Amino acid sequence: MPDRRHVLLGGLALAAAPATGWAEAGNPAYLAAARVGPEAHALFGIDAAGRDVFRVPLPGRGHAAAAHPLRPEAVALARRPGTYALVLDCRSGRVAARLTAPRGRHFQGHGAFSRDGSRLYTSENAYDLGTGRIGIWDAAGGYRRLGEVPSGGIGPHELLRLPGSDVLAVANGGILTHPDSGRAKLNLASMRPSLAYLSGDGDLLEQVELPPGLARNSIRHLAARGDGLIGFAMQWQGALGEPVPLLGLHRRGEAPRLLGLEPARQLRLRGYAGSVAFSGDGTGIAITAPRGGRAHVFAAESGSLAAEILRGDICGIAAGPAGFLATDGLGGVSRLSGADAAPLARHGDRNWDNHLVAL
Amino acid sequence: MRVLALCLALLWPAAAAAGPSVDAALDGHVLPRVARLAEAGAALSAAAEARCAPEGEALRAAYHAAYDAWAGVSHLRFGPMEEADRGYALAFWPDTRGATARSLARLLGEDPALLADPAAFATVSVAARGLLALERLLYDAPGAAPAACGVIRAVSRDIAGTAAGLADAWALHAPLMRAPGPENALYASEMEVLRTLFTAVATGLEFNADVRLGRPMGSFERPRPLRAEAHRSGRSLRIVRLSLAAIEELALALAVTAPAPDRAAIAAALDGARGAAAALDDPVFAGVATPQGRFRVEALQQRIRDARAEVTARLGPALGVSAGFNALDGD
Repeated sequence: MPDRRHVLLGGLALAAAPATGWAEAGNPAYLAAARVGPEAHALFGIDAAGRDVFRVPLPGRGHAAAAHPLRPEAVALARRPGTYALVLDCRSGRVAARLTAPRGRHFQGHGAFSRDGSRLYTSENAYDLGTGRIGIWDAAGGYRRLGEVPSGGIGPHELLRLPGSDVLAVANGGILTHPDSGRAKLNLASMRPSLAYLSGDGDLLEQVELPPGLARNSIRHLAARGDGLIGFAMQWQGALGEPVPLLGLHRRGEAPRLLGLEPARQLRLRGYAGSVAFSGDGTGIAITAPRGGRAHVFAAESGSLAAEILRGDICGIAAGPAGFLATDGLGGVSRLSGADAAPLARHGDRNWDNHLVAL
Repeated sequence: MRVLALCLALLWPAAAAAGPSVDAALDGHVLPRVARLAEAGAALSAAAEARCAPEGEALRAAYHAAYDAWAGVSHLRFGPMEEADRGYALAFWPDTRGATARSLARLLGEDPALLADPAAFATVSVAARGLLALERLLYDAPGAAPAACGVIRAVSRDIAGTAAGLADAWALHAPLMRAPGPENALYASEMEVLRTLFTAVATGLEFNADVRLGRPMGSFERPRPLRAEAHRSGRSLRIVRLSLAAIEELALALAVTAPAPDRAAIAAALDGARGAAAALDDPVFAGVATPQGRFRVEALQQRIRDARAEVTARLGPALGVSAGFNALDGD
């Protein structure tokens, strides 16, 4: 493995000419940010067995990453309320471009590219206005900021592009924060989370809200299946003892479907889902619950619980060849299939951060 | 030779014997307390068999003793407590949708054969099992309907069975906690064992503050005293007192290797919370309905939260664990 990587890295000089895609970065299958040791942070490319393919240092705690659809380029976004985002050349580890959120905006940790790779979209908090924005950057021309559009709510968090289209799905978490107050939540009593669909130019196409009793269920993370089915994961801001659903499914034009469980099992997630992903074959959808130390896997069609998989501090999750791949805060990479977590690798030098991004 | 060494390694998986903190927690806290709960469960079932009248003194005393024992282990929400839903089968609370009342009503009309068969009964909804179901039967009974006697006995027998199952499961689980290692399916390192026990302390304190006190407190505009745990039998505050004492026992067992000043600070913080609970004179938190009463319960809640902050700040580093990287500070 190291040999192959060296060959690839050695070939970089030539590769400066026409970009030939992710193969030049060693063909990582996933991207994930991590804390390394007590102080350092990095973005890693890993293969399907959880082994390192590359590693690029980050200036502060990362969150998620967005992968360019064609070029071996990843954008690592600062965890909120950070204002940096780095465009990384994953062949060399070089910083290809540095994005700074405009005055009065900070990043929320997630971004997505347009279908042709010409634009990057970033979720942002316009904190003095108390509303959410989607920043648009020119990925074809040095990542100049092109402009911004309303996200359709407060506190947009994850956004993604629907497969095969330029439509964006945005999770508006509904929670107002201001960097002057750190990460404190300022509007819990009046929050209105939503799932919004925007055109590539930012027109609001459709918006989905939860029933009034679930207004405190912050919609934060998203997964998309090839046919346009969206999974959305939530974080409950109400009383800890309320067994509310933390996963929903939505298809454009339809009503959302919430996947609740019997209270005893629901409460084990401690009201907090950290990430969501569809399985490799699309039949399953999983949410991770780092506070509950487990993942719940549901059958996407029936909406019934298929498996409960225990794993301490599990959070990152993405589609795997059979089922899912997951990362945890103890440095572990596991394969989830059936009702079981099979450890693939454990990197004792690091704590995987919230998200695992499939390439 | 290397092959032999490998075989030996597989036969005797890296027995990274757990340290004194784990032994102290298991031998001085977990195992005696789950044993006590099993005994209390058996005594409860025996009392129900002997005389099932809801107002019977012996039966009610046995119910209280079993609930006391439960309060002493309710923070150990992992492993044996989660397997087979034992925790919720013993105490289905909070019951946010009134499921216990509904399930019990259904059960009272059930076939006596179901009630007589412990294995069949163990499959009924957890909401109709356990101490909260029994509490309703004993303290909220619509007269002593003849059917109630069978249900009281069945629920009591089931509590005894679940409590015994918990003790049996702990007999298998404790050795795993004492011998972490790469071959151990549950605990790869001592750190994972300590993290599990440490988390039980932290989340146990949180549960007392946020749920046991927080639910009846409701909001200032809308206090919800009838949401207090086991208010029908008048023991809501008693549960919090016993739980705090048990959590303190666990925290101090884990702190056996901590530096003396940290140990003293942990003890002081938990003593403070326990003292505040002892001084509160509001057995079912009915006081939350008035501003002064609410203020007193809120003060206790704050003491518990302060204790949690102090304990996590000192015990975590002393054990070399922190709450999980992702669990602690999510996004």
